[in-house]
Amino acid sequence: MKTSLQVVALWGKNAPPHSITAIMITDDQQTIVTGSQEGQLCLWSLSPELKISAKELLFGHSTSVTCLARARDFSKQPYVVSAAENGEMCVWNVTNGQCVEKATLPYTHTAICYYHCSFRMTGEGWLLCCGEYQDILIIDAKTLAIINTFTSSQSPDWINCMCIVHSMRIQEDSLLVVSVTGELKVWDLSSSINSIQEKQVVYEKESKFLDSLNCQTIRFCTYTERLLLVVFSKCWKVYDYCDFSLLWTEVSRNGQFFAGGEVLAAHRILIWTEDGHSYIYQLLNRWAQMGAAYKTFSGLSKSIYPADGRVLKETIYPHLLCSTSVEENKSLPFVMGYMNERKEPFYKVLFSGEVSGRITLWHIPDVPISKFDGSPREIPITTTWTLQDNFDKHQTVSQSIIDHFSGLEDEAGTAVVTSSEYVPSLDKLICGCEDGTIFITQALNAAKAGLLEGGSLLKDSPSHKVLKGHHQSVTSLLYPHGLSSKLDQSWMVSGDQGSCVILWDIFTEDILHKFFLEAGPVTSLLMSPENFRLRDDQIICCVCSDHSVSLLHLEGRRCLLRARKHLFPVRMIKWHPVENFLIVGCADDSVYIWEIETGTLERHETGERARIILNSCDDLQLLKPEPALSVTSETHKHKSIEQRSSSSHQLGPIPCPGLQVESSCKVADTKSFPTPFNVLPVKTKWSNVGFHILLFDLENLVKLLLPTPLSAADSSNSFYGSEILRRAKSTVEKTTLTIKRNKTASGSLSAEAQAKPLNDGLIQGNNAIKFIEENDIKKQKKTKSSKKKHTKASRKVDANLTIDTAKLFLSCLLPWGVDKELDNLCINHLNILKLQGPVSLGLASNEDHFSLMLPGWDLCNTEMKKEYSRVNLFSRKVLDLSNKYTATLPNHVGTPRRLENNCDSFEESNTIVYLLSRLFLVNKLVNMPSELACDFDRFFKTESMHNKMKSPGNDILHISSFYGYLRNGKNESHMTDADLPLLKLISCWRDQSVQVTEAIQAVLLAEVQQHMKSLRKTPIDSQPVSTAENGNYEMMQIPKKKEWTEELELQCIRNTSAPQTPVSPVKHDSNSNSANFQDAEDMPDRCVLEESESPGDPRHHSWMAKVCSCKVC
Amino acid sequence: MATAMAATAAERTVLEEEFRWLLHAEVHAVLRQLQDILKEASLRFTLPGSGTEGPAKQENFILGSCSTDQVKGVLTLQGDALSQADVNLKMPRNNQLLHLAFREDKQWKLQQIQDARNHVSQAIYLLANRDENYQFKTGAEVLKLMDAVMLQLTRARNRLTTPATLTLPEIAASGLTRMFAPSLPSDLLVNVYINLNKLCLTVYQLHALQPNSTKNFRPAGGSVLHSPGAMFEWGAQRLEVSHVHKVECVVPWLNDALVYFTVSLQLCQQLKDKISVFSSYWSYRPF
Repeated sequence: MKTSLQVVALWGKNAPPHSITAIMITDDQQTIVTGSQEGQLCLWSLSPELKISAKELLFGHSTSVTCLARARDFSKQPYVVSAAENGEMCVWNVTNGQCVEKATLPYTHTAICYYHCSFRMTGEGWLLCCGEYQDILIIDAKTLAIINTFTSSQSPDWINCMCIVHSMRIQEDSLLVVSVTGELKVWDLSSSINSIQEKQVVYEKESKFLDSLNCQTIRFCTYTERLLLVVFSKCWKVYDYCDFSLLWTEVSRNGQFFAGGEVLAAHRILIWTEDGHSYIYQLLNRWAQMGAAYKTFSGLSKSIYPADGRVLKETIYPHLLCSTSVEENKSLPFVMGYMNERKEPFYKVLFSGEVSGRITLWHIPDVPISKFDGSPREIPITTTWTLQDNFDKHQTVSQSIIDHFSGLEDEAGTAVVTSSEYVPSLDKLICGCEDGTIFITQALNAAKAGLLEGGSLLKDSPSHKVLKGHHQSVTSLLYPHGLSSKLDQSWMVSGDQGSCVILWDIFTEDILHKFFLEAGPVTSLLMSPENFRLRDDQIICCVCSDHSVSLLHLEGRRCLLRARKHLFPVRMIKWHPVENFLIVGCADDSVYIWEIETGTLERHETGERARIILNSCDDLQLLKPEPALSVTSETHKHKSIEQRSSSSHQLGPIPCPGLQVESSCKVADTKSFPTPFNVLPVKTKWSNVGFHILLFDLENLVKLLLPTPLSAADSSNSFYGSEILRRAKSTVEKTTLTIKRNKTASGSLSAEAQAKPLNDGLIQGNNAIKFIEENDIKKQKKTKSSKKKHTKASRKVDANLTIDTAKLFLSCLLPWGVDKELDNLCINHLNILKLQGPVSLGLASNEDHFSLMLPGWDLCNTEMKKEYSRVNLFSRKVLDLSNKYTATLPNHVGTPRRLENNCDSFEESNTIVYLLSRLFLVNKLVNMPSELACDFDRFFKTESMHNKMKSPGNDILHISSFYGYLRNGKNESHMTDADLPLLKLISCWRDQSVQVTEAIQAVLLAEVQQHMKSLRKTPIDSQPVSTAENGNYEMMQIPKKKEWTEELELQCIRNTSAPQTPVSPVKHDSNSNSANFQDAEDMPDRCVLEESESPGDPRHHSWMAKVCSCKVC
Repeated sequence: MATAMAATAAERTVLEEEFRWLLHAEVHAVLRQLQDILKEASLRFTLPGSGTEGPAKQENFILGSCSTDQVKGVLTLQGDALSQADVNLKMPRNNQLLHLAFREDKQWKLQQIQDARNHVSQAIYLLANRDENYQFKTGAEVLKLMDAVMLQLTRARNRLTTPATLTLPEIAASGLTRMFAPSLPSDLLVNVYINLNKLCLTVYQLHALQPNSTKNFRPAGGSVLHSPGAMFEWGAQRLEVSHVHKVECVVPWLNDALVYFTVSLQLCQQLKDKISVFSSYWSYRPF
C-alpha cells in the first residue's frame, strides 16, 4: 500500500478474530501489545486505572505471530519487535502503529530478548532470538540483520527459552538458555560483545543437564541473586545459581501444564499454567522454620559455615500464598506474562491473553498474603476485555458498508456479507450475503450512508440492486471484465456454499446460466490468464473446499473439467498455455497435472519433482512475451502473485487479511487507470467476519480534480497547472523510488547517469535528486504509449464522482465539533456532510504494512473523554499543531479569499482541490524518507546563507531544484518566501515525530478555519455582489494559475540567470539543459492532452512555442 | 445441501446434534489416534531423556552405491548424531586406499533429524493438553489446532525430504570437515545428509585451478549434490571438483517416520474436512 493512500476502515458489527498467541505490556504501562494467530498485532491502551480499550490493529504478518519483545530502550523509542511463524520480523512503533523495520529470515523465532549494553556497544542493541533452529541468533535491533550466533560446543539443539542475568555482584551479564532436551547453557554476554561483533565463534561457558523436557521459562531472582526458577510443562524447579544444584521440584497436579513463571520478590514466585491459572508461592527456608531456637544460633552458624570453606546450602520449600483463575469457559491455550514495576505509579500486573481474544488483568498486591487460616487467597480479576467489547460499546460508530440495506430487508437481523468485490470502473460494490442474496450498490453512496450524518437521505435512494438466485451463502464473486477487457461488461460470476455457480447479467439482473458443480463450497473463482485461451476464450476456474477444481467455459455455458482427485486443499493453480494443461499444486506439496481438453489426469508428482514442475511453470510464464502493454495483463500478473503469496502460507481459500489487502492493493496500484477511490473487502482467517477498507488515493484525486474544474474556466492555464502538478507529484513519488533503487543498484544507475553527457555537471554530488530527472525522462519515454490511454481513461471518470470522493475524504479527515460554527460553514459552503462518529483511519507504513484504528480509538486518550461534542479529533495535539500552523500562515491568505453565499460548485470544488493539494503536500513532507529529509533540512539551514550570497555548493543546487518541485506540488499562489515558514514548520513536525494523521488533520483544520474566517467576515446578507469584488475574485483565480506557469518558467530562468546562486556557469547550464530536456520529453504528452481536450486553443500553442524556444538553447 | 437454508427445525436439530457429536466425541478420537501415531514416530527418533534405556542406541549403516565401489563407508547413528564414521576411499589416480574416521571425542549432529524430531515433539505437545476433558467449543478452534499441528508435521517431513542446498564453500567451512582424525586431506570435501529415508554421504575430490588457467571461473551455486566441474573459491585458492562419490543407505526407521507423518497429515486433513462440512452452520450458534 502506498503511503499516499489514505485509508478508512469500515468495520462491521463483529470484531475480526484475534486469537492471541503473544502478549506484552510496554514499559510505560500504557499499551498492551498482542500478536494473533491470524497474523495481526493489536495495540490496546491501558489506562492508569487499569482499564483496557483496543486502539489499533496492525497488519503486516501473513502467518501466526510467535513472539513479541521490546526492541529498544523503551523510554527513548517505543519500539516493539514481532516475529511470525514464517520468519517475518517487524519492528513497530507502538505509539503510532507504524512499521519501522521489517525483514524475513529463514528462521522461526519463539522467543526474543532485547539486550543493550550502552557502554560497550555501538548501535541500537541486539535481539537475542531462539526458536526452531540450533542455538541463539544475534540480530541487530535496528536493521534486523543477523550479526552472529551464540554456538554450543556440546550437543547443539533448539532452544526453548532464555533469560538475561544482570548480576550486580559479578558485574557481568550472562545469557541463560534451556534447550528442548533440557540442557541449561550459559553464555557470557557483556564480555563477549567484542568477539561477537568481530564475528568470532562464541561457545557456552557452562552447561548442565536439567533432566526435564519442555522447558517454558527460566528466570533469575535478582533480589537474592541466588535462585534460579525453571518452569517445565510438567514441573517447576528451583536451582541455586551458584552451582546449579537443585533446591526444589514441584510437580504439577491434576494434569495441569505449567506455562511460565516469574520471580515476584526475594523468595516469592509466581507460576502460571496453560489453562490460565496462576499461583504465588513463598519459598520458605528450612532453617528459618526451625524457629527461635535456630535464630539464636543463626549468627553462629553463618560464621561457622564459611569458615568450613563450604557454601551455605539453601534448602527451601514452597508455600502457596495466593492464586488466580479465570472463568470456566476457557479456551486453550493462555499466554500470560507478568509485569513487575517497582516504581510507584506502576502496578504489578499479571496479564493473560486467550485464543478467544480476551485479555485479563490481575493486579497483584505488593505483599501477597494468604488467608488467616493459611489457605491460599484468591486474587480477583481486575479487568477483562475483548475486541468485541470495543465493537459493542461503540457500535453506533462502526458501520459496515451494507448495513443500511438491512432496513430494507427484514428486521430480523443484518445480512452478513460473506464475500464482496469492488468494480472500480463502475464504482459498484458487489456483496454476496449469507442468505444467498447479492447486493450491487454504488460503493461511494454506501460508504457515505455508513459514515456520514444525513446519510439516511441516501439510504432511500434506489441505487442498489438485489440479485436472488443462490439458496446458500455466497462464498465467492468474480467480475471477469475487471480482469480482461475482452469479456462482457455485464457478466458477473458468483459461487455459493452449495457448489452452485451462477453467471449473471448485472445490468438486467438476469441469471444467464447456473452451473451445478456437485462439489464442496466454492472457495474461490479465478480466471485464466490472458495468454491462456481455449478456442479463443478465457476460462473460469472454480476451487472448491472439497479440494476439487472445475473449469467453466462462460461463452459455451458449460463445464469443461472436473478435477477431483486432490487429497489436500488446492493452493496453487497454474496454466500451461502451450500444452493446455492445468497444473494444480496442493497443500501437501504434491502437483496434479490435468489435460484440459480430455479432462484426464496426466501426471501426479510429489516432493522434489513437484517443486520443479511448479517452478518451471513460473519460468514459462515469464518467458512468454508480454502481449503489448495492456492494463489487464499487468493485473493478471499480480493476480497470480496474489494467489501464490496467499497460498504459500495457509490453506487455500481463506485469505488472511494482511495478505489479501497487500496483494489487491498492488493490483489497484498497477492499474494505469488511476482510481482515486477503491474499496477493499477484507476476509479473516477461520471465520466469516469481514470488513471493508476505503482507499483514497490523494495523489490521483488531486490529479483528476484539477483539470476538470479549471478547464471550464480557462483551459490553457489548467494544463499548465495539471502538468506541473502531475510532474511534481510523479517526481516526489519517484524520489522515494529512486532512493530505494539507489540502495540496490546505485552503481548501475550512476554508471548510466555518467553516460549522459547532459548531466555531467550534476553527477559528482551523488545526490538522490539528480536521478529524479533522469528517471522522469526514462519513465516518460517508457510510458509514452500508455499515457494516451491513461489520459483518456481518466476523463472517463465521472467528475461528480471524483468530487464526491473528495468530499467524503474531507469529511472523514475533518475534526468535527471543534467549532460549531465552523462545522456549519463547512457543511454549507463546502457542501460536505458531518460524520456520524469518529472514523477508523488507517496508516500505511510501506507496501504491505499498515495499521487500522479500531472503533473506540478516540476514547483511548483519557484527556479527550470529557468532550463528547468533538468527533473524530485524532489527538489533542492536533489543535496545538493547527494553531501553530495558523500562526505561520501568511496573512494575505485569509483576507481576499471570499466565497459568495451563492457559490457555485465550481468555487466549491476549487476550494476542495486546494485543500487536497495542501494535504498531499503535508503527507509527502511528513512521509519523506530520512535521506531526503536530511538534505531538505540542510537546505533550510543553509538557505539563509544562500540568500546572503554565500557559496552554497553543489548540493544546494539540487536541493533548490527539489524545493522547486515541492513548491510546484503545492500549487499555491504565494510561492515565495511567505510559504517557507510553513514548510519549515511541517518538516519540524516530522522531526518531532508528529504522526502523519495528526499533521494532516491539523493542517486541514487550520486551512479550513482560515478559509472560513473569510466567510465569517463577509456578512451573510451581503448578497449583492459588487463587480469590484467579483473582479477581485477573478484576479485571485488568474494569478494563481499564472503562478503555476511562471513557476515552470521560473525554474529555467532561475537556473540560467538567477544571480543569487554563485555557482559556476557550467553547472547552471547543465541543469537548465536537463530541465529543458525534460520539458521536451513532456511535449508529446501535452500534445495528447491537446488533442483529446481542446483542439485549437491558440494560447496553448504559444505556450508550446515557449517550450520550444527553450529547447533551442 | 441445496436446500439447507430451508432446512426444517427437525433437520437442524439433527445437524446440530451431529456437529456436537463431532466436536465432543469424534475430534477427541482422532486426536487420540494422532497422538498414538506421533508417539510411535517420535519413538523412532528416540528422544533423549524421555527413554528409560539411557543413551540412544547405536546403529551401524553400511553405505554403498550400485554404480561405484570407490567409496565405502560405515556410519554409526546414535539418535540424531553421527557418533562414528569409517570411510574407505579408493583414490582414482593411484588406486590408493584412503581411510577416514571420526575423532573419538566428537559427535556430528544431523540437523535434519534433530529438526524433524523437534517438530514432532512440538506437534505432540500441541495435542497433549487437549485431552478428553477439554471441550472444543467451535469448529474454528479445531481448525486452528489442526493447522498448527499440520504446520509442524509438514515441516518435519520437509526437513527429511529436502536436504539443505549448500555451496561448496559452505561445505568446506562446515564443522563436519573438522570431525575427522587424522584430519581430512585438503583436496577432499565430505557432506552427510538425509534424503527421504536415506542417509547419504558425498565425497568431493578437488583439484586446484591454476591462477593463469584459461578456464572461465564461475563459482557454483548452492546444490544438494554438486557435479564434477563445479568450481569455488576457498581461502586464496580456486578449486574445482574433479570427482564426486555418493553413497547411501536406507535407514528403516526414517522410512517409518515418513509414513507416520503422511498418515497423520491425512488424518488431520480429514478431520478438517469433517469440520468444514458444518462450516455453514456453526456460525449460527455459539457452541
